Amino acid sequence: MTLRNKIILSFLVLIWCLGIFIEFLIPFINSLAFVHPFLKNIYSNVCHQNQEKLLTFSSYSTFTCARCTGIYIGSLISSIFLIFFVISNELKFKYFVFAGIPMLLDVIFYHIGLYTYSKIVAFSTGILLGSIAFIYLYIGFQKLLSKVS
Amino acid sequence: MRKLFPALVCGFGAGVLQVVPFMKSFACCLIIPAAALFSIVLDQKANNTYERVEVRKGLMLGLLTGLFAATFSTTFEILITLITKNNDMVLSFGELQNFLSGIPIPEDVKNEVFSMFSGMVEEIKTTGFSMFYTSITLMNSLITNVLFGIIGGIFGTQYWNAKVIKRNREE
Repeated sequence: MTLRNKIILSFLVLIWCLGIFIEFLIPFINSLAFVHPFLKNIYSNVCHQNQEKLLTFSSYSTFTCARCTGIYIGSLISSIFLIFFVISNELKFKYFVFAGIPMLLDVIFYHIGLYTYSKIVAFSTGILLGSIAFIYLYIGFQKLLSKVS
Repeated sequence: MRKLFPALVCGFGAGVLQVVPFMKSFACCLIIPAAALFSIVLDQKANNTYERVEVRKGLMLGLLTGLFAATFSTTFEILITLITKNNDMVLSFGELQNFLSGIPIPEDVKNEVFSMFSGMVEEIKTTGFSMFYTSITLMNSLITNVLFGIIGGIFGTQYWNAKVIKRNREE
């Protein structure tokens, strides 16, 4: 993938991540208040938005839960990393499975009542899965763009 | 039409699951990508093939799955709103008012945002239908479901091709 395409992909992921934190930006860019309900509705398609699971600071909170926010931040980290590093076109699927196991265990353990919901654990497992998952997405785009060009 | 069947079936399933509260709480962002992955598997099984899938085909199946999911989920969402005269946006209007009241932004901006949405909320509470809400919901569903469908399609392609490679090695 060319450097230009890598930067475009990272930028798109960055825009998606910034949308999650729009409440934090409204005091600085007041006109963003108009898009607040629209963006909240967009992110409601990809997250349950349970108030107690959102990342909050003062009176501001994210539009996605700690887990989903971790996934998208992990994707952003990977997208920036992949601007500078080259990876092979074949990656075994088992790494994705291994990256998903902590999250799956966290979801199961929390739902059976082994422990109470922890935003830090959810965020961390999200970052792990998001960063690995993005690499597979990147490889897919790489293969697609190589066929197109 | 037969080519669209896997995407249509999986898109319908995803559309239904998206409006089920429990599923949304449990699987949220995984519903559409999983549906896209299933549509690829379904397409291969329907054609009785076990070959590598091209990324382009996987992406198209994912896109179509997302498109169908957006259509069905929006339809169900509108029907539920029509019957119950309530939805997430109406419920979150109070939260929006509280949020905007608590942050340092000009009063005229707050009033403009409130007036923009209070009309929609009133329409839904009285008639159960709002063209504004329908347009927003459809647009938002199309954006997210198609995007996540494409992501799921690319993932599904990788997953399927990994399965094919593993099977070929075993043979």
